[in-house]
Parts: sequence; structure tokens; C-alpha cells
Amino acid sequence: MSSGLVESSTTTTDQAMFLDPAIRDWVLFPITVIMVLVGVFRHQLTILMTGEPPKADIKDLRQAKALMRGQVLAQNKSYIPASAFVERKKYLCDAYENGTYLKNKASKEQNAANLMTDPKNMEVMMDGMKKQMMGIVPQTLIMGWIQFFFSGFILIKLPFPLGVRFKQMLQSGIMTPNMDVKWVSSLSWYFINLFGLRGVFSLILGGENSADGTRDMAAMSNMGAMGQQPGQPQDYNKLFLGMKDNLSIIYHEWDLDSIEQRVLVKYGKQPRLFKSARK
Amino acid sequence: MSSSLALLAEIRQSSERRPFEVLKLAEPLLNKGTISQAGDDVWLVYEQVFLAAIDEGQIELAKAILITLQKRFSGSQRVKRLYGLVNEAAGHPGESKKLYDEIIEKDETNVLASKRIVAMLKAQGRYAQAIKELVSYLDVYANDFEGWLELAHLYLGQHMYAQAAFCIEEVILLQPANHYYHLCYAEINYTMGRLDIALKEYLRVVELSTDNVRGFYGVKLTADRILDLVKNRPKKDQLHFSLDNVPQQGTLERLSQLATERLVNAYSEANAACRTVNEQWLKE
Repeated sequence: MSSGLVESSTTTTDQAMFLDPAIRDWVLFPITVIMVLVGVFRHQLTILMTGEPPKADIKDLRQAKALMRGQVLAQNKSYIPASAFVERKKYLCDAYENGTYLKNKASKEQNAANLMTDPKNMEVMMDGMKKQMMGIVPQTLIMGWIQFFFSGFILIKLPFPLGVRFKQMLQSGIMTPNMDVKWVSSLSWYFINLFGLRGVFSLILGGENSADGTRDMAAMSNMGAMGQQPGQPQDYNKLFLGMKDNLSIIYHEWDLDSIEQRVLVKYGKQPRLFKSARK
Repeated sequence: MSSSLALLAEIRQSSERRPFEVLKLAEPLLNKGTISQAGDDVWLVYEQVFLAAIDEGQIELAKAILITLQKRFSGSQRVKRLYGLVNEAAGHPGESKKLYDEIIEKDETNVLASKRIVAMLKAQGRYAQAIKELVSYLDVYANDFEGWLELAHLYLGQHMYAQAAFCIEEVILLQPANHYYHLCYAEINYTMGRLDIALKEYLRVVELSTDNVRGFYGVKLTADRILDLVKNRPKKDQLHFSLDNVPQQGTLERLSQLATERLVNAYSEANAACRTVNEQWLKE
């Protein structure tokens, strides 16, 4: 602390500014307190609005697990004998082709656009939208409030010196090129709070809370990509056909083809010559 | 007091089945009412003690706990299943079946209730029905290796070896590194006379689990029988596998020798009676 004081008295004597204690009481603390309160409020609101998780449909499950079965077969194929593998491959390929495991067999020819009409998918998507709206609206309001009332306020002075590079980060909203970077503006204080309060929230609300605003920012920047969003309906018919193609070109080799040599080597009955034979 | 709660939590998380210890730990908690120190976990502790009480046959205690749970969570499907368990333990399987059916009607993805129905059918000795239920369960939950294992055992009880082998293959696909499943597969194949696969799977067992005695007994038995067949050349239609698939005679002899050696070594620490039995078996 003392070094900071010495520093400020020597290098920045020309910037001996004194902040009104009222700024601390009526701007600095209110911004922080309100942001914490809004976070807590948002968390409670999310709990209220989420309600019961959508009930899983047994046909959905069956569909997903059938796909998983193909993946497992492709992955661990070398641990079962060739006859067993061929049997399963044939069965699964036929089943995928005929849509045995499809949730809606009539929808085999359906394209992805029609999946949107499934009321359950609609619900999932609406739920996501609601959550995102809840994140964006309060943050926008607070930011507007700060910009309207407190733009241009200097709130705190950091006890350590910083380079000029931090000027943009710590003094947004203030157009004074010569001011020392140690001074933090109100808008910057808002951003510091926005990103820094995560720890405080997990302290008051527990680890799995939905008060944090930064996640929504990440979600928003992803919106454009629109790639594999969770809860997005998937066209299982397409996935099944892809898996069928995958399975049908797989080359099967039993892992136990050279097991005799491996065991003999393991128990020291044979020199380690067959290393290359083992895949 | 909190130490016993911590111990209970540990048992709960490792999902070990140690009803005696659980009851012993929980008894003072229940009597003194300090169980509420568990905070939000108190209901989990109640459920745990309930299951332990059922395991130990203390149905009165189980019923008392169930009333507490029912007060807190009326209409819960999870508590309903516990009612089913109490009825099973008290010998009213009909009531239980009704409760489980109600649960499934409300939520057809309730895995625990579906499993209870199979277990109940098995306990009643209605194996054909148990198999049917389990097959329809596995049609949905194809990645449940414990389900496949259970189905394999049910099939084995009916001497349906080909079906059991299929189930064990599914288990191996899902859990390829567990030597016990390879052992089951080897033994089923041996029983079916598919000695080529049996030998390889027995070898896999001793590769995964060093000096596995059951595995080496299998290696010894299978290798000797294949050697016998190779020397005598029986008619083709008497065999359940092709002699072209087996390793060379020299390899078979070395495997048999290795198994003998490891078995003698494994029993070298055992008492004399065990050792002589083992040696006699190996001589035959």
C-alpha cells in the first residue's frame, strides 16, 4: 500500500484528484449491489420458469440407443469373433435401412424442416429462447441505466500502476487521453462486475446457478453459427443411413487371432518376436 | 455423529450393498433424531436405510421410514417404487406388480421399475416371462451391459447356450476389458463344443488377468481336447467347429504345458490335499 502512495506522489503529482466519498456511497456500491441482486433475481426466475424437465419419450430413447449400438459395434468390433460381428452388422444395417428403430416410421421420407413441427422439439427450443431472453434483458437495462446516469464518472483508483494498454478496458466512456490508467470509470466497473461476479454467485447460490451473465454472451455470439445446438432436432433417418454406410465398409479383424503367441510371450515361453504381427 | 453420516454417504456413493453396516450406523441416528443433521441429504439417507432394512428383513423399520418419506414426497414415483419393494419383501408380489405397472404407465422410461418387474418374475421362477420382459427392455436400452448379463444368465438357466453366447457377446462389446465376461464367453463356447473360440477366449482371460486359475484350467482342458481331436481325426459332422481354425500342434502342446506349469505353481502354496487333487487332475 505504501509503495502505491509513494508512486502516486512522485510520478503523478499533477493528477492529484480526490474523489467525493458520495460517489463511493451512491455510485460504486449501488452498481455492485444491484448487479448482485439482479443476478440472484435472475437465478430465482430461471428456477421458476424452467419448471419440470420435459418427459423423455421411450421411442426417442430407443432411437438414440440404437444409434449408439452401431457406434459401439464399430468401435469394439475387434473383441468379438468374425461370425458374431457379421451377424450384428447384417442385422443393424438392415434395421437402419428399414427404419426399424425410427421413432416415427411414417416420417422416414421426412426432411429436417418438418421436424420443427414436433411439439416437443418446439417446446425445447422455446425453453432455450426464454432463458436467453432472461439473460439479455436485465443486462441491457443495467447497462442503459449506468450509461444514462453515471457516464463519465470515475469510481475508484487502483492501488497499482498499469500500462496505457489498459486504458480502453478501464476507462471506457471517458475521453480524457492524459488521465492515469489507475482511475476506473463507471462503465468499466460495470464490465468488471459482469465478468467478475461469477465467484460471488457460486458462493451465494451454489455452483450450478444461472445468475451469471457471461454465458449468455457466449451463447449470443454462437447464434450466428447455428451449428450443433443442444436441443436441436436431429434427423435420425439420415444418421442411421450414415451409420449403415460406416458399418458396411468396416474391415473386421479379431483381436484374438494371434492370442496364442501373445500369451506365450507374456508368460515367458517365447521370445518377443511377433510384435509386428499384433495390430 | 457426523462421522457416521459421512460413512453412510461414502457407502451410498460407492453403491455398495452393505445393509448390516448401514443399519448399525443409522440406528443411533434414527433413535436420537440426529439424522436431520444431514441437511438436504436426509431423504437420501432415509432411502438408504430403508433399502438396508429391506435387505435385512426388518420390514417394520422399513415401513416406519416409508411413512416419513411419504409425508414429504406424496405422489413421488420414487417413493412408490419403495412401496413396491416393501410389498415384495412382505410377500405380496401382486401388489408390487400393480405399483410398478402404475409407475411405468406414468413414465415409461422408468428403468428401475422395469428392472424390478424382471427381477420379480425371476424370483417367482417364471423364467420364460422374465426373459420376454428383459428382451423388450433391452430392445430400448441396448447399452445396458448388466441387463445383457442378466439375460445371459436367464438363458443359461434354460440351457439356451446360443442365445446366452449372443448376450455375452453384447456384454463384451460394451465392456471389452473385463476378463470375467471373456471367461463366461469361453465357458459357454466350450459347452457348445466350439473349442476353437473357447481356447482363444480362455487365453484372453489369462492375458488380461495374470495366473487366472479358472482360465488356465480352461486352457488346459481345451488344448488337450483339441490335441486329442487333431490326432484322432474324427468325422467332420461330429464336430461343432472346423479343425482348420485351431493353432498348430506344437503351439497347442506348449499351451497345455504352460497351463500345467502355472496351475502347479498356483497351488504350490496350498495345503497338501488341494495339491494332490490338482496334480491328479493334471495327470489325467
